[in-house]
Amino acid sequence: MTEPLDARPGTDAARVFDPVGVAWQPVSPRLTTVRLISAGVWLLLPFAGGVVAAVLSGLAGLWAIPAVVLAVGLWIAVVVPRQVRAWGYAERDDDLLIRKGVMFRTLVVVPYGRMQFVDVQAGPLDRWGGIARVQLHTASPGTDAAIPGLVPAEAARLRDRLAARGEAQLAGL
Amino acid sequence: MTEAPGPVWNRVHPVTPAVKGWKVLAVLLAIAVQQVGTNIGEAQDLVGTVGWGPVAAVVAAATVVGFVYAAIAWRMTRYAVDSEAVYLHTGVLFRQQRTARLDRVQAIDVVQPLLARLFGLAELKIEVAGGADSAVRLAFLREDQAQQLRNELLARAAGVEFGTEEQPEAPVAPEREVLAVSAGRLIGSLVRSVAIVFLLLGMIAAIVVAVVSREIGAAFGLLPLVLAAGGYLWGRFAGEFNFRAAQSPDGIRLRHGLLESRSQTVPPGRVQAVRISQAWLWRRKDWWRVQINVAGYGQVEEQQTENVLLPVGDRDEALLALWLVLPELGAADPRPVLDAALAGGGGAGEDPFTTSPRAARWLDPWSWSRNGYLVTERALLVRSGRFVRQLVVVPHERTQSVALSQGPLQRRLGVATVLLHSTPGPVAPQVVHLEESVAGALLVEQAARARTARAGAGPERWMRELRAQAARATVDVEREVPQPEPVEPEVPQPEPVEPDAPQPERVEAQLGLPEVAPPVTSQPEPVEPETHQPEVPRP
Repeated sequence: MTEPLDARPGTDAARVFDPVGVAWQPVSPRLTTVRLISAGVWLLLPFAGGVVAAVLSGLAGLWAIPAVVLAVGLWIAVVVPRQVRAWGYAERDDDLLIRKGVMFRTLVVVPYGRMQFVDVQAGPLDRWGGIARVQLHTASPGTDAAIPGLVPAEAARLRDRLAARGEAQLAGL
Repeated sequence: MTEAPGPVWNRVHPVTPAVKGWKVLAVLLAIAVQQVGTNIGEAQDLVGTVGWGPVAAVVAAATVVGFVYAAIAWRMTRYAVDSEAVYLHTGVLFRQQRTARLDRVQAIDVVQPLLARLFGLAELKIEVAGGADSAVRLAFLREDQAQQLRNELLARAAGVEFGTEEQPEAPVAPEREVLAVSAGRLIGSLVRSVAIVFLLLGMIAAIVVAVVSREIGAAFGLLPLVLAAGGYLWGRFAGEFNFRAAQSPDGIRLRHGLLESRSQTVPPGRVQAVRISQAWLWRRKDWWRVQINVAGYGQVEEQQTENVLLPVGDRDEALLALWLVLPELGAADPRPVLDAALAGGGGAGEDPFTTSPRAARWLDPWSWSRNGYLVTERALLVRSGRFVRQLVVVPHERTQSVALSQGPLQRRLGVATVLLHSTPGPVAPQVVHLEESVAGALLVEQAARARTARAGAGPERWMRELRAQAARATVDVEREVPQPEPVEPEVPQPEPVEPDAPQPERVEAQLGLPEVAPPVTSQPEPVEPETHQPEVPRP
């Protein structure tokens, strides 16, 4: 967590989201690459469109479109590496902890016994980058417990481990 | 699906097509009304040019198609019940075979739409927690048949043995009516709702517009507002009319409905969260509304009444409704706690709740001193709202997962929000803007509490208990296995739970969080952690 801490004396703002004694596993840095490429692909079209429109029409005002797109792209380039670094998970005896976010932080505690199913997903770009996304589902749609950017072997290991633990602590709803 | 060896297949009632066949026509009519409602002039022109003949022909054709399809669908529908599950085969072109395990049943409803009611028919709806449209719907059965099948399914799900010589049929669970809402009270509650304000405003505006513009057509622009508000009010009235709640060993029974009558049974331990709320205009009357999350009912629109445990009632009735779900609140003296939970806070008097710090007033200037939580042995109580007062109660063993969230503004003010994830429904429990350290401690403690409570009680307990009851009723007392907690046969005892030790020291030591003692109203007895730990077989 590289976020500046709250200035109030005696408190440590980051501590709530970073309890000691929890060994956080980071996600793969390849996630940064994949996300940046994905964002680049999405932004390329409006950027190119804006440039073409500005050049063809000759209106100086139209350059605002590619400028805005470029600014968004730069912002993403700054934010995504930090987001990826902020993402972490920890397997404990009875539950899985997932934390994420830089501006808007969340820390989710999912008990293994509450897991209904586990998804492992990998899109074409993810596969190219050699990463996969593991998502836990409970009976609640509010449970936002996804870990993107795992190397496939780790994703498979985590999936099997979660499934095994969920089965061991299985209970209805 | 592999067919179970011995289930006896049944057909639904042969009058079913006559009831269901109207659906096509109803859909057609609804579309027509929707279209005509906005373009009434064009519709008149259309009928004027082509005449009524084609319109009648279309209606007749739709009716015939509807009934023929319903008749074929009836032939294709079969259901069966055995001790494990209920099976349903449906579909004309796209066949579907559905099996629902009885130990996964979340609720069983007997629904009677108006037309079915005239024929003395009813639909049996068996809810399982499988998301939208996961219910097994047996439509239609004879009303008494539906009731009997419901008793049978509940008895089987609860593990009650029958089919023997002394007990050939499923025993009818005795029930005791606890709550009833009179029509006058219901109307009174709707008169004091926001929708009525919209309805009146819409109607007044329509009249003003019509008078000023001297043209009746101009008022139609306000029709959607009036229809929406009126439809909402009518939906509430019709759905919650003649509301009664009863208690029985196989769960909470809810009956309501004016045209479509509904009789719901929610077995013990199936309610995931409860919300008691008070609209602003209800405060002088001290009226409250109680809603519940049940996994099978899922996410519903505001108008639907499945998730309502009490449409309107005074404070005592609302607390009685809560008691139906959670007989043991886990507080030494529940009443003052609940009074504080409903109407307390805001800086007046002694407050057992842990509220937001003063810094949170920048984020929530009205309710920050009311927003807060209280932990009892059995549940987490979350209080919020100054204008719309609200209390959410989540039993510890029903917590799915817990989360902590903090935005940039919250970080500046040193506060964070704790979210408890519940099954889909009207209740979304969250404690907003707690002080960081308090929120962090609540997160880990709540996770630990949920785990220990979970290990102590589950839905399976309901079956074990009822089985024990059934055993006590039929078998000699001497032969019975000693039960840890004796249960009286008549009084339904929904899941007594061993006091769950939150083990705060252990958790904090584990996570190194700042020490914040939860405001537990009564100290739970110290319990050895081993007794609650689920056995985890190591592979």
